[in-house]
Amino acid sequence: MGCRLVPGKCPLAVLSVIPYSDGTFNQSVTVIAFCPNTTEVHIYKFFTDKWEKLHVLAKHDQIVSGIDWSRSSNKIVTVSHDRNSYVWTQEGQDWVPTLVILKLNRAALCVHWSPKENKFAVGSGAKSVSICYYEQENNWWISKVIRKKHESSVTSVAWHPNNIHLATTSTDGKCRVFSTIIKGVDTRGPQAGASVDWKFGEQIAQLDLSPTWAFGVRWSPSGKTLAYAGHSSMIYFVDDVEGSPAAQNLALRDLPLRDILFVSEKMAIGVGFDCNPLIFAADETGLWSFVRYLDERKVTPSTSKASQLSEALGKLYGQSRQGSSSDTVEPSKPRGGAHENCITCIVPLRKGSESIVKRFSTSGLDGKIVVWDLENHITIPK
Amino acid sequence: GKSLTACSEPSSLAPQPGSVGDRGRRPSPLCEPPPRSNQKTQHCLALLVAGEMSSAAYLDTDENLEALISRIEQKSRKIETLLKQSKPVEALKTALEGSPLKTRDERCKSANWIVVHRAMMAIRDIDGMFNSLDTEYYDILMKYLYRGLSTGDRPTCDQCLKIHEKLTERAGLGCILRSLADTVNTVFVVDKSIVAYLQLVWLVAS
Repeated sequence: MGCRLVPGKCPLAVLSVIPYSDGTFNQSVTVIAFCPNTTEVHIYKFFTDKWEKLHVLAKHDQIVSGIDWSRSSNKIVTVSHDRNSYVWTQEGQDWVPTLVILKLNRAALCVHWSPKENKFAVGSGAKSVSICYYEQENNWWISKVIRKKHESSVTSVAWHPNNIHLATTSTDGKCRVFSTIIKGVDTRGPQAGASVDWKFGEQIAQLDLSPTWAFGVRWSPSGKTLAYAGHSSMIYFVDDVEGSPAAQNLALRDLPLRDILFVSEKMAIGVGFDCNPLIFAADETGLWSFVRYLDERKVTPSTSKASQLSEALGKLYGQSRQGSSSDTVEPSKPRGGAHENCITCIVPLRKGSESIVKRFSTSGLDGKIVVWDLENHITIPK
Repeated sequence: GKSLTACSEPSSLAPQPGSVGDRGRRPSPLCEPPPRSNQKTQHCLALLVAGEMSSAAYLDTDENLEALISRIEQKSRKIETLLKQSKPVEALKTALEGSPLKTRDERCKSANWIVVHRAMMAIRDIDGMFNSLDTEYYDILMKYLYRGLSTGDRPTCDQCLKIHEKLTERAGLGCILRSLADTVNTVFVVDKSIVAYLQLVWLVAS
């Protein structure tokens, strides 16, 4: 299923952005960038069968909380808890940073390049989203901040394919869609959307479906469907957000998700505290449902989770259960899978310009980055 | 801008009626029926839409609370009948349906709890109960189980623990998470100490 890299012993808090297939050697070379829970970003290359460390980008003062690598313009943007952001461009063998002033007074939490790679959005703990764009005359990146509407930290941002709509999720449980039209950067083309002209920072829609924190918002490849995860073990699929939103709330059987990836228009992968990617698929009518876990696991330990829970609860209430033997109720951790701890991030690996994602990588709090290959395992409905 | 909320509020709150929730399914009997409509509540509704009254205040007008309490009393009578006919599972379903989850009024919630408790304690065959209980009841049953566990009363806790084990097997950990995380649809009046208590139970259990 995949190659693994265990770079350090510490949990990898935020990781990877991993695109890249270098055609020059006629082989697919995977290059990844991640933060090993420090203030640096490491870039590794997977060549034949081993990983080589290529570069270390060290400029931030605190943990790097978000990384995104733009494929066509080959820039890396990093944001950190130190409230700063750097855009790294490759000059020769080195990566040169350019500071972007985000005007934040709290940590930056997540970052994503827009589809045209002329803007990037940064979500922060200051209840705001900074949209940054490049100003040619002064040769620097300027940020415009969306300060209103969010009531708490912005955990995740996602760009609609039209390069203008931005979806955000927040720890206030709501998912919002904003317009990020910037004069001089965005041309109002026919695909710019509805007849209404949205101003920068105007809220197009607010989805209040989750009673708890929301994470991992993503648009489907065409932009018709929006998906995000709620911390109450729910995943929400919303169609036609700008027009008349229609939501499907899927209750998950197990633990909550932290991040989502749309593999195609009709299939999505969710990752989270189950330590195992979940596959969701939509049928012809557009009804989403859970298909299965991606990773086949060995049989779970002898006593089921449910009876362990009951034993523990019983002990709390001073009850003695008949028949149960052990005094040592071990916390049952999932065994034998690729990840041993919560998966926090899922990133696609695209070859060229294919619309269906066949390979992706996940990274988690166990310090592992796992590359998954869907090619031989499941058929992906378009 | 448009807004979409998860609760089954009267249709004038959501811009597009019927755009919320699962598609193509009949409205669940577990959803609270919307508040009764008369001149006074229409006035309150107008205030709510204008943003001058909070949704909690709207739901908790005296009219609505009286209506809720009388509904719970009706349920209680129906449950006694069902229990006399030895139909404890039907009784439990009746008790769980139309529970006042959104209101913030302690009386209503306690009154419904008493009714659910009565039905729950009457169940002897727990496996059998799950064979005829639909999955849409799982989340709300789990919430009431935790309310039962919080009473500390020995027979109640025994029964709740037995049901809890089977329910967790069937519904998974997600069900437990939803009962802990949902501060909008509650069976307690949300109280910080209770939330901390539940979290303590969860921590010890895992």
